[in-house]
Amino acid sequence: MADIEVKNLSRTYEYYRKQQGLLGSLKSLFYREKLFAEAVKNISFSIESGELIGFLGPNGAGKTTTLKMLSGILHPTGGQVKVLGHIPTEREKKYQKQFALVMGHKNQLIQDLPAIETFIVNKEIYEISDKEFEENLNELVELFGIKDILDIQVRKLSLGQRMKCELVAALLHKPKVLFLDEPTIGLDVVAQKNIRDFIKKYNREKKTTIILTSHYMEDIKELCERVIIINLGKIIYDGKLDDLIKKYATHKLLKVVFNGNGVQQEEVERFGEIDEFNPYICTIKTKRNEAKNTAIALLSSNLPVDDIIIDEIDVDDVIRQIFNS
Amino acid sequence: MKKFITIVKAFWQRALTYRLTVLAYRIGEIGETLVLILMWSAIYDGQKVIGGLTLQEMITYILIGNFFNAIIRNFLSSVVARDIKDGRLSMFLVKPMSYFNYILSQEIGRISLATMMSVLSSALVIVFFIDTFIWSFDIAYFLVIIAMVILAFITELLLSYLIGLIAFWTDEVDGIYATIDRIKKFFSGGYFPINILPLMFVQISFALPFSYSFFVPAQLYLKKLDLSVGLKGLLIQIVWIAILYGIIKVVWNRGLKRYEGVGI
Repeated sequence: MADIEVKNLSRTYEYYRKQQGLLGSLKSLFYREKLFAEAVKNISFSIESGELIGFLGPNGAGKTTTLKMLSGILHPTGGQVKVLGHIPTEREKKYQKQFALVMGHKNQLIQDLPAIETFIVNKEIYEISDKEFEENLNELVELFGIKDILDIQVRKLSLGQRMKCELVAALLHKPKVLFLDEPTIGLDVVAQKNIRDFIKKYNREKKTTIILTSHYMEDIKELCERVIIINLGKIIYDGKLDDLIKKYATHKLLKVVFNGNGVQQEEVERFGEIDEFNPYICTIKTKRNEAKNTAIALLSSNLPVDDIIIDEIDVDDVIRQIFNS
Repeated sequence: MKKFITIVKAFWQRALTYRLTVLAYRIGEIGETLVLILMWSAIYDGQKVIGGLTLQEMITYILIGNFFNAIIRNFLSSVVARDIKDGRLSMFLVKPMSYFNYILSQEIGRISLATMMSVLSSALVIVFFIDTFIWSFDIAYFLVIIAMVILAFITELLLSYLIGLIAFWTDEVDGIYATIDRIKKFFSGGYFPINILPLMFVQISFALPFSYSFFVPAQLYLKKLDLSVGLKGLLIQIVWIAILYGIIKVVWNRGLKRYEGVGI
């Protein structure tokens, strides 16, 4: 049975429009134009135990809304959700002890105290035994290398250190399912990589089912085999990241290096669309199935070819293309 | 119970981190008590009895009333309102412990140091007025007063929580809190003993829960009220606690639905 089952899930928000200025504010006391926004429209997917899924989409696509419905914070306006056999909005303790939610821009750590104090509070809330707590804590602290910051007031920590502590706080009870909402937001590249490596390792070792949302393609590329792309509340792609490239990237890139005096642009234009050009390095865009032939044609031409690399179009570009269309 | 103690301990530590703030508050409190004493001393000039109290009794009333008040009050509503407004409530909703239990434990931890310091500073002011202060001890009165103060503490905690919950609809509760706080102080007898006003005010204040956090225990201490009034007061307090708890349940459920967006 799948860990997470989502069927025809929908969610509508109610909001109001206020006219500009003070007069608009006064008017809105008596009459407000009520509007509805469909944040999530009729989406369905299922996730097997141990999977690490990337949830992709631009701002306002419905990613966080979906995660909130999976964790039981928000009620769906339509459809069903089941996580580990539980309906999240019922907020059964049994379910709550089996999952965790980490949000990049909300914190659960007590800001004015060292992180260890939140860990101890969580130990009691989640009813973790002394032995288990000690084992888990040691393991997590080791994995993150944060032994020396546990006794420092949380607000004095850097964003990266804080995020590590947030993750530790969320993982002490060994959740089976983990929702990560932009855990790397605002972090520098080194800290991002740390968090990424950790998630990867944790998923592999503990077989935890993880849904990860992120705006950083690096996170997705490195961590997720399968991605669900959501835009304007609808799922527009659900499948392997590799297949996504095959499906949407109709072209390949040939990076050709020339030696000697280099080449003129006119000389290479007949091989395909020029993506980037200088006399020594040139990137040619060709249809996928023609890439090989184009390479052969280039090599057998009289151009001073030194090297050819056939590359996939960057996944960032593919996704940008999907969102734009 | 262990959950409760752990949370209380954690927030005890937090209070200790901000010991200067805790201390600074006390100076203002002492100042306020002294101003009240000064004011009444000026008003009494020449008069023997006001509202059934001599000046000495009035000073005792102020001192002991503020002493009780220091034990009773809390600052929960702004904490609850902030959690709701900033969406931090979400982080609690996913945990296997109710927000009510968590936040109440947190508040008790948060204020316990301040409370102790307040009690200490109020006691110090009493020592300063040792010659004027009337000492009175009667075991029956003493027990009723203790019960009353404990119940008043619970009432206040529930009331603050309830005010905080209004943030589900308004996001901010500072204005509502400030107004209710003044009404509370008036009916509690914190500005002046309520019985210097027409009887109607006294009757209203006895039906409300506020007088049991200042006026009634202070008057009981001075033995100006009969023990039976105290016992009846305890009953009224219990009724109020039940009412507040009921209202909290309803408001929480409706507010949470709004937060979760049920029925939109």
